[in-house]
Amino acid sequence: MTMPPKDLQPELALLARMKQGDEDAFVDLYRRHKDTVYRLALLYSGSAAHAADATQETFVFFMTRPDQYDPLRGTLAAWLCGVARNIARKSVGGREDATDPEALADDTAPHEQHVDRDTPLERILRGEAAEQVRRAVASLAPHYRDILILCELSELSYAEAAQVAGIDIGTVRSRLSRARAQLAQRLAPYNMGAKEAV
Amino acid sequence: MNTNETTLDPGQETLLDLKLDELKRELSEHGAPAAMQAALVARFRQTKPTTTRPRFWWTPPIALAATIAVTSWMIRGPVPPSGQLVALAPPTSTLEGDPGPFLALQPLDRIAAEPGKRVVATEFPRALLADWGLPVSPDRAGEPVRAEMLYSADGEPLAVRILN
Repeated sequence: MTMPPKDLQPELALLARMKQGDEDAFVDLYRRHKDTVYRLALLYSGSAAHAADATQETFVFFMTRPDQYDPLRGTLAAWLCGVARNIARKSVGGREDATDPEALADDTAPHEQHVDRDTPLERILRGEAAEQVRRAVASLAPHYRDILILCELSELSYAEAAQVAGIDIGTVRSRLSRARAQLAQRLAPYNMGAKEAV
Repeated sequence: MNTNETTLDPGQETLLDLKLDELKRELSEHGAPAAMQAALVARFRQTKPTTTRPRFWWTPPIALAATIAVTSWMIRGPVPPSGQLVALAPPTSTLEGDPGPFLALQPLDRIAAEPGKRVVATEFPRALLADWGLPVSPDRAGEPVRAEMLYSADGEPLAVRILN
């Protein structure tokens, strides 16, 4: 079940204190969001080292430019996810320009050049099944993977994902639907017990 | 999370959700490296604004306190006779009247045990109501809906009351 919007007041109070130089407030906000940001960066970069770098860079950006967060446009968590997404995508070589909505016809299958083959395939997760799913997610076309990571794995709302990705909510829904269909297709061999790679 | 537009059958949907849950469960064991906090705090100390107190920093607070004290003394109302205590009703709603019951989003015993609950008027997309099992007309799915949220002290939503 999707949860309703969180009350922003406690975080906004912390943010105000942080802007005045309150170190404890920064640490509190960091602890609240560090793992979400790290996991999102891990999914985008496919590398623990890149994810750690992206997480650190995200919070440095946050502490140096907190005024760039506009509470009227969403939660701090969603904004941090957006920053981390952009940093993580840059860190893997800027291959994902194809998520630009104007560069894609949303309802068409992705062109071969949009399919990311260069995502690092270092083993990240201990569980075999979870690692298979992670790799299957990494093998999706970037504009589908993007929305799947934001909506399914980072649990952003459609509206937040739309804002982070710079697309409208209808496009988020259709891309998520197609991402799920592609993912199910790629995981089908595992579901049948087949041994071949995705 | 299911979508209305997916082409998967219900069995495939369930299987895919199970796979994604497995990935989420394993991802939840991963977090930012412990050493990162110390590095960021050190960086924060370098970047935070310096707060040096002006020489006569204490004069504005003293002047403000004196003004409040004098004003309070000048406009204070009659003291109620002893034995007639004034009871204040707890703030249960931000609206006049009773717009209807709250819909619990958490177990009732947990809501009852939460300290420092508060009611906040808010707006969110009508489509969100469908996730709670409430009927939503597709024509109006994009419209905002006014509601009152019951939040815990740390901002977690406990219950919702739809106003329109």
